[in-house]
Amino acid sequence: MISFSHVDKHYRGWAQSEVRALTDLSLEVRTGEVFGLAGPNGAGKSTLISLLLGFLGATRGTVLIDGLEPRVYIEANGVGYLSELVNIPPAWRVCDALERYALLAGVPQADLSGRVSSVVEQLGLEEHRRKRVRQLSKGNLQRLGLAQALLCEERVIVLDEPTHGLDPLWTQRFRDIVDGLRAPKRTILIASHNLDELARVADRVAILDHGRLQRIVDVRATRNDVVRGAPYRLVVQLGDDHVKEQFPGARALGGGEHELHGESLESINAGVARLIERGVLVKALFPVHSALEQQFREAVGAGAENGA
Amino acid sequence: MSIPVHEALPARRHRGLVGLYGLWQFRDYLMERGAATLIVLGLFSYLSVGEKLSELHYRAEHATAAQIAQAGGAEAWHTAQLQALTSNFLASFLGVVVFVGAVFATQGIVANDRKTGFYRFLFAKPVSPTRYYGQAFVIHWAAFTALVSAMALVYGALVQPILSVPLLMAVAVMFLMYAGIEFLASSMARWDWLSMVAVAVTATYLWGRFGTSPSPVARLVYLLPPLHRTAEVYSAVAQGDALPWHLLAWFGGYGLVCVVAALFVLRYRRLAII
Repeated sequence: MISFSHVDKHYRGWAQSEVRALTDLSLEVRTGEVFGLAGPNGAGKSTLISLLLGFLGATRGTVLIDGLEPRVYIEANGVGYLSELVNIPPAWRVCDALERYALLAGVPQADLSGRVSSVVEQLGLEEHRRKRVRQLSKGNLQRLGLAQALLCEERVIVLDEPTHGLDPLWTQRFRDIVDGLRAPKRTILIASHNLDELARVADRVAILDHGRLQRIVDVRATRNDVVRGAPYRLVVQLGDDHVKEQFPGARALGGGEHELHGESLESINAGVARLIERGVLVKALFPVHSALEQQFREAVGAGAENGA
Repeated sequence: MSIPVHEALPARRHRGLVGLYGLWQFRDYLMERGAATLIVLGLFSYLSVGEKLSELHYRAEHATAAQIAQAGGAEAWHTAQLQALTSNFLASFLGVVVFVGAVFATQGIVANDRKTGFYRFLFAKPVSPTRYYGQAFVIHWAAFTALVSAMALVYGALVQPILSVPLLMAVAVMFLMYAGIEFLASSMARWDWLSMVAVAVTATYLWGRFGTSPSPVARLVYLLPPLHRTAEVYSAVAQGDALPWHLLAWFGGYGLVCVVAALFVLRYRRLAII
């Protein structure tokens, strides 16, 4: 559905200093999947999205949506898009803004008010309908941005930092919305700093750093993977003193929490079994980082080394 | 990897309803630009005409019987005085109306959306920037002409009728030239109204200085509109003479070329570049 083939994007400033935002990036996003895009600040995520929407042109390489140049595809079909900064004229009223975007999205006039009401309800904006955009809080503005992206049943949806500014309740609802948007013929691309978010909603996640694709993580396949040597958090309620005897390398964090480093899963299991035998009450044991987070750390570390 | 099967997506239904969106563009013009244009030009015309009208009333009260008889009666004397006032007003004020109107109508028409990032949501929809901004330009042009018609009607009700086809033709064509230049500048850079003012000043100076020079280099002034001759158009309207069509064609053609160039820029220049 979406393909980047050997894409370079270089910016040249007035002083002729060249910034390489993306270098030799190749990527395929399949129809029907939710694809995540992760990377530290300046990794090239926003540039990649601007290239995908045709707002920027590649210095080298090709970007295609459904086999078409991005602007050709978008001007014929449109995409559901939420930008990192929600840029809507501040003087517009919420309902007017949605009506305008719905017209431009091609919602037939007869369905216009119904479609606007539907997204207003879905995103909980009923009480803000008559407010001007400048009167909205950060979270409500973000929800308005999301609402305008969902006005039409688009086949391609691009969400840049969609949960930025949302409270935990709406972050959870956002996951439900993405789940509701999943369809065999729809492709959803989500760029986010929030790895936990991506681990929950995405099928695959591309990790970018220094403008290069470091790796693609199949989140579904690795969701329950155990990374050898990854740190684990052990929380005990009784018998705190015995943990150090069993795990000499453990770092006490206070409140019965300990971080275990460099242990294999087998040794951790055996150690915990012995602790229980001694009457220690184990409250929780979990990996400090998710598999995706672990992969991200490795990939970004590698990127830093390559970039240096 | 398993993906829940939801209802099949409908086939793509429509492109963006840009034509209908024109009503919003018209509303935006009236609220954001038309109102400001009306206030500035209304104040300016009040200051220009108000004092002269008072003066006219004073002169009417103090006119001698001989003066009135020479004009062919009190009514004729008054009409002649109003005619002179209106002619002077149009000759001096029409240029300001068109210039200010064009600056207000096209200032930031493209550049503001680029600068603020408003283009991002607009052009993620199935809408071409060329169509969207081209339509906005035409709507602003038509709305400005309608605004001038309304102002002319008000002037007609208070002073003397001035609304005429030559007046509207002159306003529309001169607007096309100034606004076309600004539209082209706006499609390329941030400082559109400053660029338009710079072109106006430069063109007036260079045409005045080198317009009649035999030097081949001086022929480069033909790249600029002959703004040193705009007074000919406004005087013709003010005096009720035939419009200088060759000059209007030159001005209008120049504006049209700028508009086409702007649409070309919008077609090929990436929106995120400013």
